[in-house]
Amino acid sequence: MIFIKESSPHIRRKDSAWQMMLDVIIALLPTFIFSTVIFPLNTLLNFFISAVIMCLAEFIFIGLTHMKPKDMEKHTFKEKFEYAYKGRYQLVNLISPIVTAMIYTLITPSGAPIYSVIVGALIGIILGKLVFGGLGNNIFNPAAVGMVAAKLSFGSNYGKYLALPSWFNSVPNTSMGGTLLGNISSLGYESINNVNFLDMFLGKMPGTLGEVYTVTILLGLIYLIFRKTVDFRILFSYFGTFLIMMIIAGLCINSILPQVKVMHFTLFELLSGGVIFGGVFMFTDPVTSPLTRPSRIMYGMIGGCLTVLIRLFGALPEGVAISLLIANMFTPVLDFPKWSNTKYTYKNIIAMALIFVIPTIIMIISLLFGGVVK
Amino acid sequence: MIKKVTKVGKSKELMGSIPTVRYTHPEYVFIATVNTRCSKYELFIKEGDYVKCFQKIGMRHGPFFDQPIHSTVSGTFVGLEKHYHRSGKEVEFIKIKNDLKNTSDDSVFERTEAQIASLSRKEAIKIIKDTANVGLGGSSFPSYIKLPIDKKIDTLLVNGIECEPYITADHRLMLEFPNRVINGIRYLMEIFDIKKAYICIKSKYKDIKLVYHELLKGYENIEVKCVKNYYPQGWEIAMIKEALGIEIPSGHLPSEYGIMNFNVSTIVGIYKALRHNMPVVKRNITITGDGIKYPKNFRVVVGTPLSDLIPLCGGYKDENFDKVFIMGGPMMGASVPSDDVIITKTVTSIIVLNKKDYIEEPCVRCGSCVLSCPVGLKPVEIMNAMKAKDRQLVKTLNPLKCIECGLCTYSCTSRINVTDWVRKGKVIAKL
Repeated sequence: MIFIKESSPHIRRKDSAWQMMLDVIIALLPTFIFSTVIFPLNTLLNFFISAVIMCLAEFIFIGLTHMKPKDMEKHTFKEKFEYAYKGRYQLVNLISPIVTAMIYTLITPSGAPIYSVIVGALIGIILGKLVFGGLGNNIFNPAAVGMVAAKLSFGSNYGKYLALPSWFNSVPNTSMGGTLLGNISSLGYESINNVNFLDMFLGKMPGTLGEVYTVTILLGLIYLIFRKTVDFRILFSYFGTFLIMMIIAGLCINSILPQVKVMHFTLFELLSGGVIFGGVFMFTDPVTSPLTRPSRIMYGMIGGCLTVLIRLFGALPEGVAISLLIANMFTPVLDFPKWSNTKYTYKNIIAMALIFVIPTIIMIISLLFGGVVK
Repeated sequence: MIKKVTKVGKSKELMGSIPTVRYTHPEYVFIATVNTRCSKYELFIKEGDYVKCFQKIGMRHGPFFDQPIHSTVSGTFVGLEKHYHRSGKEVEFIKIKNDLKNTSDDSVFERTEAQIASLSRKEAIKIIKDTANVGLGGSSFPSYIKLPIDKKIDTLLVNGIECEPYITADHRLMLEFPNRVINGIRYLMEIFDIKKAYICIKSKYKDIKLVYHELLKGYENIEVKCVKNYYPQGWEIAMIKEALGIEIPSGHLPSEYGIMNFNVSTIVGIYKALRHNMPVVKRNITITGDGIKYPKNFRVVVGTPLSDLIPLCGGYKDENFDKVFIMGGPMMGASVPSDDVIITKTVTSIIVLNKKDYIEEPCVRCGSCVLSCPVGLKPVEIMNAMKAKDRQLVKTLNPLKCIECGLCTYSCTSRINVTDWVRKGKVIAKL
């Protein structure tokens, strides 16, 4: 028995980083299983491929960055291997790529070809995470980077949506050309009135593999909030900003096109696309979000505003992934030590108000006078 | 999980219900020659001299103040010996062989109530200075410096919170010597014209509340104030904010706001000084932890070597495990590389834990340390700035505000010792 000297404190709490990631996996599981039931082949294949790519990339990355320094002696491969991986490759390094792969799979369109999935996964893990220094150092959400990269590279080949299986599809023989959001740009805002909201809520619409199943996502959200794995500030500020801005947008559109109801419009925007999935699983990713309380609220607000603006005015109908990447860019700015504060000061509150008011004014002016709504 | 950590460690209800064991007859007593605040000393006695209990046997010299050294038993001065001090360093101790007679020094005498009431502020401060009363909660800050000569004081706060897990010494002291606590408060209130006094305890200590509710029936000015069961509620600024609602900015003293605050043990020490003109010779300590067979509360003579007390606790549990030996609480206490330690005035507890190895994982920026920090720092940013060797950034992040409560390390989901980095940052920022 030896008495060992160590610096205080001498006790730690039980929670750990890999538990947090495991929680995200558990929260994703209902959506994943549901997606597997609807599109078994695509979901499992995409997940398997992207998980293998991402785990392997992380594994190789650790080996490359911790190579044994050159000296005169010769080392066997086993020694080099042990030097690189012992103590560095931990459970967290295995679980984290799996989380990324799972989210990446669930935000891939249901009919995306395999080569695009592979390219997206490679770009996501390498350019989105490893070039910044691996786990904990990445600026961008790797899953969103992969998805956006694949979308930009392959365009319409990537954004293919499979027809739902007949037992799940309540309106057979509907065109499965694009998502409902995509239909707006071609058919106009009146098309919202033809939508069945119960079908949307249950996920009976074209979309990516996982983002349309609102019920299972909400199940995961309840688990995450119960376990405190996500910061509720980001959740509330993201969804709050999104909803309030969409209600204001609905009022503007309603004043031009009276047949579009405000509540219908807001509900449609909330349920379509990846808002709920992105808000629950991607915006709350701790690595890419800021640290302090006020800056987390500002981060969620920036994400919500950007999502609304990209949806209403952008060329791409989907705005969540891109708005997430832009909000990620704001993270270092929000955490800049000169002005970031751990307490709510009046400066923070002014900044929050500005973050909300400026995009809202831009949105109102362009909706009313920009000729966007036809 | 991403949350503000406010509760630390295991509950201590079980320990609090164990009555104190008195151990007042050690064979040898060791008295520290220097401490964390005074680095030089001189002795008034020679080897072989007979010393009386409470006798002034030396003087510690520090950069700001001097502190007399008192013998805590009567006996023969044997010599100087090196042992581990509470700060974690090895220092020289005055070794006195106890003759078990407790012959008192002449300086000790009884003051009547009237005499105490007629003491002026200056006289009271001199008595407290001469009896070497220091903050017994662990700070070892001399009490007389906190006592103002002419400033007006409105409230006296008595800190009985003991927010660190495992420790119950003050809890037992408050239960077993309530009269000394109340009298100490009363004397201070009389001498310094204080209108109101609050005894701050944790709201879960129902037994203390009951006892003091009965005993304080005659005194309207003294009240028991329950504060929430948070860590670090025992930190004076958190306590003042919780009890009085006054927020004291960092760098200011509570006395500027008309507040005086003392630990319960210090109040008992002041009581003894004013009443009997006695220095602190006994104190309550807790010996606990998962490496000890039977955790116990003790009341011991200051200077008792721990080797006397460990057998009374049944020795160490799981002898083949490595242990961490902590003097003070598990959050802020220093660990010592040996069990050859002496209980000095400011040791509140001895905690023996089985050594656990925590494997550091990469930081995932969960922000728990930022949310938990009681002074509003960003520990993880300080750590990153230190790793990047960016001195300017470290200074901007102002690590000097840190009180080293240890919550950032405790709350870290990646098991990184963030507190250590902030401590290094403090050194860098001071340059």
